[in-house]
Amino acid sequence: MNRIFAALFLPAFLACAVPQAAAQEKLIEPPMFAEEIKAGKLPPVAKRLPGTPLLVKLGPGQELGQYGGSLSMLIGRSRDVRMLVVYGYARLVGYDLNFNIVPDILESIEAKGERVFTMKLRKGHRWSDGQPFTTDDFRYFWEDVANNKELSPTGPPSDLLVNGEAPKVEFPDKQTVRYSWSKPNPDFLSRMAGASPLFIFRPAHYLKKFHRKYNPKAGEAQAGGGVKRGWAAIHNREDNMYQYDNPALPTLQPWINITKPPSDRFVAVRNPYFHRVDANGRQLPYIDRVVLSVAEGKLIPAKTGAGESDLQARDIQFNNYTFLKKGEKTNNYKTLLWKTARGAHFALYPNLNVNDPTWRKVLRDVRVRRALSLAIDRSQVNQVLYFGLASEGNNTVVAESSLYKKEYQTRWATLDKKAAEKLLDEAGLKRGADGLRKLPDGRPLEIIVETAGESTEQTDVLEMIRENWREIGVKLFPKPTQREVLRNRVFSGEALMSVWTGIENGLASPDISPEELAPTSQQQLQWPKFGQYFETSGKAGEAPDIPEAAELMKLNAQWRDAATREERAKIWHRMLQIHAEQQFVIGVVSAVAQPVVVRNTLRNVPEKGIYNWDPGAFFGIYRPDTFWISEPKK
Amino acid sequence: MFTYTVRRLLIMIPTLLVISFVTFSIIKLPPGDFLSNQIAELRSQGDKAALERAEFMRAQFGLDKPFIEQYAVWVGIWPTERGFSGLLQGDWGWSFEHDLPVSDVVGDRMLLSFILNFTVVLFTWAVAFPIGAYAATHQYSWGDYGLTLLGYVGLATPNFLFALALMYFANVEFGLAIGGIMDPEYLDKPWTWAKFGSVVNHLWIPVIVIGTSGTAGMIRRLRANLLDELQKQYVVTARAKGMPPFRLLVKYPLRMSLNPFISDIGNLLPSVISGSAIVAVVLSLQTSGPMLLDALRSQDQYLAGSFLMFLALLTVIGMFVSDLLLAALDPRIRLTGGVAK
Amino acid sequence: MSTVPEPRLAHYVATEPFEPLATEAMTPEQERFYRASQWKIMWWKFRRHKVALISAWVLAFFYLSILGSEFLSPYNLHSRDTRHIYAPPQSLHLFHDGKFVGPFVYGYTMELNMQTMRREFLPSQDKVQPLRFFCRGDSYEYMDLVESDIHLACPAEGGTFFLFGTDRLGRDVLSRIIHGTRISLTVGLLGIAVSFLIGITLGGISGYYGGWIDNVIQRFIEMVRSFPELPLWMALSAALPVNWSPVLVYFGITIILGLLDWPGLARAVRSKLLALREEEFATAAVLMGATPQRVIARHLLPSFASHLIASLTLSVPSMILGETALSFLGLGLRPPVTSWGVLLNEAQNINVVALYPWLMLPVVPVFIVVLAFNFFGDGLRDAADPYK
Repeated sequence: MNRIFAALFLPAFLACAVPQAAAQEKLIEPPMFAEEIKAGKLPPVAKRLPGTPLLVKLGPGQELGQYGGSLSMLIGRSRDVRMLVVYGYARLVGYDLNFNIVPDILESIEAKGERVFTMKLRKGHRWSDGQPFTTDDFRYFWEDVANNKELSPTGPPSDLLVNGEAPKVEFPDKQTVRYSWSKPNPDFLSRMAGASPLFIFRPAHYLKKFHRKYNPKAGEAQAGGGVKRGWAAIHNREDNMYQYDNPALPTLQPWINITKPPSDRFVAVRNPYFHRVDANGRQLPYIDRVVLSVAEGKLIPAKTGAGESDLQARDIQFNNYTFLKKGEKTNNYKTLLWKTARGAHFALYPNLNVNDPTWRKVLRDVRVRRALSLAIDRSQVNQVLYFGLASEGNNTVVAESSLYKKEYQTRWATLDKKAAEKLLDEAGLKRGADGLRKLPDGRPLEIIVETAGESTEQTDVLEMIRENWREIGVKLFPKPTQREVLRNRVFSGEALMSVWTGIENGLASPDISPEELAPTSQQQLQWPKFGQYFETSGKAGEAPDIPEAAELMKLNAQWRDAATREERAKIWHRMLQIHAEQQFVIGVVSAVAQPVVVRNTLRNVPEKGIYNWDPGAFFGIYRPDTFWISEPKK
Repeated sequence: MFTYTVRRLLIMIPTLLVISFVTFSIIKLPPGDFLSNQIAELRSQGDKAALERAEFMRAQFGLDKPFIEQYAVWVGIWPTERGFSGLLQGDWGWSFEHDLPVSDVVGDRMLLSFILNFTVVLFTWAVAFPIGAYAATHQYSWGDYGLTLLGYVGLATPNFLFALALMYFANVEFGLAIGGIMDPEYLDKPWTWAKFGSVVNHLWIPVIVIGTSGTAGMIRRLRANLLDELQKQYVVTARAKGMPPFRLLVKYPLRMSLNPFISDIGNLLPSVISGSAIVAVVLSLQTSGPMLLDALRSQDQYLAGSFLMFLALLTVIGMFVSDLLLAALDPRIRLTGGVAK
Repeated sequence: MSTVPEPRLAHYVATEPFEPLATEAMTPEQERFYRASQWKIMWWKFRRHKVALISAWVLAFFYLSILGSEFLSPYNLHSRDTRHIYAPPQSLHLFHDGKFVGPFVYGYTMELNMQTMRREFLPSQDKVQPLRFFCRGDSYEYMDLVESDIHLACPAEGGTFFLFGTDRLGRDVLSRIIHGTRISLTVGLLGIAVSFLIGITLGGISGYYGGWIDNVIQRFIEMVRSFPELPLWMALSAALPVNWSPVLVYFGITIILGLLDWPGLARAVRSKLLALREEEFATAAVLMGATPQRVIARHLLPSFASHLIASLTLSVPSMILGETALSFLGLGLRPPVTSWGVLLNEAQNINVVALYPWLMLPVVPVFIVVLAFNFFGDGLRDAADPYK
């Protein structure tokens, strides 16, 4: 968002948006390291912090904290240890509380016209093992990983390619990295700020020993287990910055995973070289250790209710709220309700690429989709399942987004059975003798809606929709399958209609790519073949032959070339409007509440927040490194 | 005796071979393979970086090879470019899900599984034995019905619900932890008395749940066999000669009716493992059951296959041992070549 | 007669008419017993086993209820009452304020607790809702043919009758249990039919022919038995094409359950046949030129049919429980198909155990039916050998 600002008001930007602890007032040492420092194994904090650490400004209601304590959380599978990277949320650039992108690890970033990004590192910034974090790490990534034929057989990550063009990567000096393209790359910053981010650097000093170029002997020693693998496989195995399962890999996150997999309990300890400090001079994080225990997903609400987690939002749902409230007094925690920010928690996806020609015509008739949407009693769904706390309406951006307009949410989404009947009559789907409407070729209008079968919630909503639709003469047949099978059936055009969540990023701002709204991916269940066409550049799939879909494609392309914020906003609005009018995806409810369990002694967790994957990184933007424990157990 | 043993041993080999083939086929039966599931998952999450590695792995692990070749490689009768490396060579394969050798993944879980299953077997015997004996000696009495009913309670209640309810009840009333086979702090630590105590503390819920479903069958079998024995002539003779009833019971008929207990060793293993798998999932125990279920779901074929083969091997060996024991105990079996039921 | 008789034993001649059975005259009861057929004796012996008899009645009741599920349940399978979500069970009363009113329930008052997000229902003493019998309630299509709306018992007009409470969508648990009976009880029957066919065939061949055929089949049985059930279920169920309709999935599940159950039966058949084929009547049949099939089917099998039946009935509970286990793993039947396993699976979460325990009530019919089958099978087995 601040790209224009950055380009025009660079000095001011540097000064106010990124406060530096320029004057080193007294720095406080975390007690955890006292012994090591005395033994000379670790330098004192003044030497561990970069020359200009990031001074964290606390949010409203947060207070400066104390050191100490251990934070226990529950995860559903061992690969969720990557949550340490998500919650830790140390990024080159990251989202702040208002979802603006600001520099974090970087001291500053200058984005000229979104084509040329000049990134400045903090001098003296070190990896978690004490080695310097320099442009060498960026160079290693670009030259020796992204462009190495064996490590990246498909070339550099697609996020770095603009129309297939690779960036020009330069290192003007020891502290500066520059990425430039000939056309704008508007996704670059948001991808680097993402929950599962684009990493354009690696710990070169560590990985070099696994790289053939620097160590001719790399890969000759076998990885354990007798499986002989090439050096590239071993390098990739070691290079797991996101998966976070290699304790030996240096990191920049606030907590370092010290447990080697396989394990059912991962312990992460404070990173002595973390680059953020608070206003009192304490190097963050406050909390010494984070412990992630693996438990069966279904049991996590029970365990949380029994007090086994200090901070839990993952794997608990709204319908656990009552149970969680029950255990609050005995187990010393409180249950907050945050909001989710998906465009829709539950949405129906009519498959516009379905194989059956009659059905295709019917589903492509906008009147039919509008009618189906009008007939859904969303308020009943809201009352029954969400206690009226959710938001009823279309699959569109949420109210907190700057692009939100009420009509996007309510157009064709208010309950009106009469209008629905009229539309279906107009579309030529007359009722038969048994009261059920018929397709033009005489078959009953029976829609088989397939779900991934993973949540009873979806089946419940479908139950309610089934009755709603029965009143307008449409038969709904719910069919739970499995995620994989569902996708394959949708992709191949066999499935008629499917159920999934809505827009992933309901908090969109004009500077975020609107590609979710255009047919750009096969994963979009309403037009998989259009999406495939785009992904494969025309080699597979079908070209969008619905005029509005084609328009969305055009708008999406225009967005990438748009120069000003206003232009981008205009494009977004047009796209949102098309969606509201066309009902390509029929949303039901959104902004479902997410319970967050917080131990009473854990401070600085906001009472109200938004629990979203990207942007948001779940807890990430609320900076868990600023959470602290008021009475840490020794 | 010797020829019998040798014969049984020789037959074990083709048995295991066939089991391995069937197991592998069944695992590969669902469409797709591990990577195809992963790729689809990753694509839907937009995790493009890992995506680009997945294709890589496919070639690495030969998932693009035909079924027979994959099977042969797994067993170790077909070389890859890195030489023979399969079950026959003691290499259990690679787990895709965990990206580690199977033996590493299985690790500690095997021991915990063994502890759990062994305790369940002990519990079953300890409960079934007295109840069965009492029921047989007091046939058709209220005690007979009442105790058998008690034994049936565990059988008739679906394990998963029983486990959940018992666990919640124990947590609310006694403050016991929810699930897990030991307190989390001990998970990766070496064995100490404290760790052992923690395991014992957590073990009794799963043992009760799994054990009670097995007791009914055992009670019934013991009761039936004992009833049969009690009709026999030698019992009448002994009673006529004035032997005290309890001593009479223990010295002769009870020992004869131990036959099924021994022959059951072979059967017990698969059923206990199945039973404990579900309970282990519900209670989130760190045993092999949940790991196996996950592997089957995600088609982590070498992990699932090798583990199942291991179980099958244990079972076959168990059956062999129990048959040997029976043959040693009961000459009739040796001579007619089968297990009398 | 001439001279004085010599001192020797008099020749005694009885004067009564000759009766060959005089020494072994039977009382009428004994005669009835002697002349009774095998099945009749079995029935008598079975009757002695009281518990088995009761179990048989219970099972008959359950199976017969399948025919009238819609009639017996107060509500339809899918009826929802969104004003009564997670309502606790209503107990039946007969007397209100000391006066006899007939069976009735107390209505609810509902309060929405926004602190805990819970709907709190309390029985209200002033809302007396007497039940109606043979009344008109939700309409249903019986066997997809006849439309009717008569139920055995319905709630009072505008009232509720939730004997077992309601679930998260406001559906009556009792009605769902009654409807679920259909699927849960028939799954077992189909499964054992499959198991029966395979078991008889393989066990029969193995037991009759003996020798190397027997050996091969024995090894095969051993092989099947060394598989842990659960992974096989999982793998097989996961392999069921997921685009099958629920009915097909249901059949697939029963076949899978049956496929893993036959070894026990086969071994029983085999050992019995091994013993019986040495019997004289079998030899006689062979000598008279009967083919092996005829000998097995016509002569040998009937002799231990009773054992077979007993074994079969004892397998049904494991099928029923197997179905519930598969539902738990997400592999068996799933909503909107309703079986006890599906209902129990929906109850399988901590919310239910802690807050809405009445949703676990489907465990009661499972329990009763499994017990009933076990006792029934036991009684059959005890009665199976009437000449013991």
